[in-house]
Amino acid sequence: MKCMIQYLLLLLIFTTSLITHGNVGLASASLVSAQEAGDSLEGEDDDVQVEMDEGSPLPNDDSTSVTQKDDEEEEWQLKPSPDVDTYFLFTKPSGTSMELHAGRDVQFLVGVTNKGSKDFVLETMDTSFRYPMDFTFYIQNFSTISYNRVVKPKQQATLYYQFFVSESFAARSFGLAVNLLYKDADGIQYLNSVFNETVNVVETDEGLDGETFFLYVFLAACGVLLLVGVQQLFANMGKKKPAAKPKVEMGTQNVNDVDYDWLPKETLNELNKSPRRSPRQRRTKRGTGSVDE
Amino acid sequence: MFFRYLCAVVLLVAACGVSSGEDETVARLLVHKRILNRFLVEGKDLVVDYNIYNVGGSAALDVHIVDNGFPEDDFEVVIGMLKIKLDRVGPGNNVTHTVVVRPRSYGFYNFTAAEVTYLPSEVAQDVQIGYTSEPGEGGIAAIREFDRKFSPHVMDWIAFAVMTLPSLGIPLLLWYGSKSKYEAIIKQSKKH
Repeated sequence: MKCMIQYLLLLLIFTTSLITHGNVGLASASLVSAQEAGDSLEGEDDDVQVEMDEGSPLPNDDSTSVTQKDDEEEEWQLKPSPDVDTYFLFTKPSGTSMELHAGRDVQFLVGVTNKGSKDFVLETMDTSFRYPMDFTFYIQNFSTISYNRVVKPKQQATLYYQFFVSESFAARSFGLAVNLLYKDADGIQYLNSVFNETVNVVETDEGLDGETFFLYVFLAACGVLLLVGVQQLFANMGKKKPAAKPKVEMGTQNVNDVDYDWLPKETLNELNKSPRRSPRQRRTKRGTGSVDE
Repeated sequence: MFFRYLCAVVLLVAACGVSSGEDETVARLLVHKRILNRFLVEGKDLVVDYNIYNVGGSAALDVHIVDNGFPEDDFEVVIGMLKIKLDRVGPGNNVTHTVVVRPRSYGFYNFTAAEVTYLPSEVAQDVQIGYTSEPGEGGIAAIREFDRKFSPHVMDWIAFAVMTLPSLGIPLLLWYGSKSKYEAIIKQSKKH
């Protein structure tokens, strides 16, 4: 009985130590630990095991091929290293709300801490939009950035990543997956899912864009046209058409209004010699002369 | 005997809890080094920005950032310091530091990460070493090439004006001569 109790207590101690010494992540809306985000991507099974009953209709050859395939999948399915701790922060857009603005850049930083005793080489980081209901369904892949940075034991490094959210993604939700691929000094590769959450892509609330500005200009122009039209209408209704007076040609009344520029020089000289008089003036002069005589 | 085992288990769990709690409350710094200029030009100001974010649960103390990525042979420091010391960066806080340097020569240059050292908590004695993000390789353009593309070209415009002066000036003088003659004739005719 004593032996049994001792065994149970040892088992309890072992399990509690395992639980408490596991990686503790810091999780918030804009700051998510790799452990909190899930070491393997959502929609992926950690352990793929094909169990078959004894009375399975499949022949032995098929069953062996299935297990071989599963072994291959397990080999290719990369896991995170327990010696590497990652943390994540959105710098643009800043804040804790999980909202990315359509038609804008998204920038984030990833911190990597090497808690182990071996060097780690941070190779690449890739980002993708996934279908929120099924994270295995890719909607858009963003650039895979190569870093090739060595993180020595007990040291940290910061990685920067930037991508552009297309305007066509506005007003939709996506699963944003950020994966960090790295390897240790022995060349064993690991994969950390640094960020793996659903984000909302929202339209940017700009104060005044070109489209809105010209809409207002067009509306103002329409308003002005309407006012002019109304004014013209009232003006025409109020007026009575006056009777048209016959126009009488008055001729050139002022002597200075006559344009002599078209005349040749000789004619101008002749005109300058003889004093300019109107026919009336000439008559009056003649009349006075005859009276004197 | 059973009670002794139970006490041992409780103590062990408590100790594990404390250690994990310490892990949670340490400071974690993310330091982003970036070049703010769109064009990097020889002999012109180059603005380097350091953004320090503390995403941990505790304050980072005695924070030092040393950037050896701008050697004196290649860069002249105009404003600011390449060795930064901050007494404390609180949890959830961020600090920005800006340095203005001037490249002495042109060509491709690899902008490397700066070294960051800090104490992760108030009780910590081991200094945590970290590195900022790397801006990467950037091309520093020669001043002559930059001026060819972006300068106002004042001398070129003056030369252009001098060259086009005869072709504009001669017709102007001819027109002005004929105009003045014509106006003189009209004045004479109006006097008489």
